[in-house]
Amino acid sequence: MMDKLAMNKPSMGKNSTQHKQAFDEPLWWGLFSAGGVCFAVFLPAVILFIAVLLPLGLLPAEALSYERASTLLFSVPGFLFVGAVVCLPLFHAAHRLRHGMFDISVGNDALNKKLMYGGAALLSIVALGLVVAGMLG
Amino acid sequence: MNTEQINAKNVSTKHISVKRYMPDSSAEPYWQQYELPVDDSTSLLDALNHIKEQLDSTLSYRWSCRMAICGSCGVMVNGIPKLGCKTFLRDYEGEIRIEPLSHFPVQRDLVVDMAIFLEHLAAVKPYLIDDNPVKPYDPQAPETYQQSPEQLARYKQFANCINCGLCYSACPQFGLNPEFLGPAALTLAHRYNLDSRDHGKKQRMAELNRHEGVWSCTFVGFCSKVCPKHVDPAAAVNQGKVEAAKHTLIALFKG
Repeated sequence: MMDKLAMNKPSMGKNSTQHKQAFDEPLWWGLFSAGGVCFAVFLPAVILFIAVLLPLGLLPAEALSYERASTLLFSVPGFLFVGAVVCLPLFHAAHRLRHGMFDISVGNDALNKKLMYGGAALLSIVALGLVVAGMLG
Repeated sequence: MNTEQINAKNVSTKHISVKRYMPDSSAEPYWQQYELPVDDSTSLLDALNHIKEQLDSTLSYRWSCRMAICGSCGVMVNGIPKLGCKTFLRDYEGEIRIEPLSHFPVQRDLVVDMAIFLEHLAAVKPYLIDDNPVKPYDPQAPETYQQSPEQLARYKQFANCINCGLCYSACPQFGLNPEFLGPAALTLAHRYNLDSRDHGKKQRMAELNRHEGVWSCTFVGFCSKVCPKHVDPAAAVNQGKVEAAKHTLIALFKG
């Protein structure tokens, strides 16, 4: 048993596939972190404006009239806004779901990864595509 | 001294249930209850020693220093990983259930096999690696290992690990996948990466940036809660994620 622990064994010759670098993980983790920040910073403001102030009539009536809202959305800032409050949080949620499924031993991680991040990517493309279509149309 | 007064006033009887496992006589683990006198100063390790000496000499457990520095008396107390010598029975009401550390194979009673933990420790090369090409090793050079207090402060907290393994018992990810390098090993890797005298970061990053390295951590944070030396492995592992991400970016651009 003890000889297995030899500290000076030349870099664990077992097999090199075990030492495969996880080059994709920093990307998922980066999107997860960015999504978390956007969740925390932008969504409360969005909820305050759209779900509280607007229904209570505390904003000017035409603040989010159809014309104004569509001009705001179908623009470069609108594109960035959708990226920040829809796409990044989608990847945040996908990351949590993937790890949550691993925690309760549902499916296998390689497949879950494809499903979750693939789903987030697909929905992101739909969301951003709608904005681009609106800008062009 | 008034210690005797306090002790005399607070002597009481407590029940301790210990999960016994003796593969020689029974294939299945079973619970055994002991009744023993305790006072305000009785630690769990004192209680186990009392059982071993006075009640039942067949009980097996590890211990050595009695002062939370050797890291050998880790057990589960009511489901929470604790050091026996740092846990006092005065803090527990009712039944106290003692089990061997979770997520490790049990050898006998409270004794677990920590081989996999030691393998993970060895894998991250937790020692100073000095292969600085600019300043080759010279035993005569007096300033080889000089370090300022600021440089020491960067890693000092992460250097307090006593390898007790409580964080591995607390970590649900290690429970799910024993190949995960785990809190203590990743913390020690980070500790040496932060050390100004060390030049082994590149070698360690190859271990840290695997799926079984920092990326298996989901920041549960229980490791930092149970750590008896306040090392905060959760912080170290998540700083390790930032380092691994930087390492990957640099590798991408360097090709």
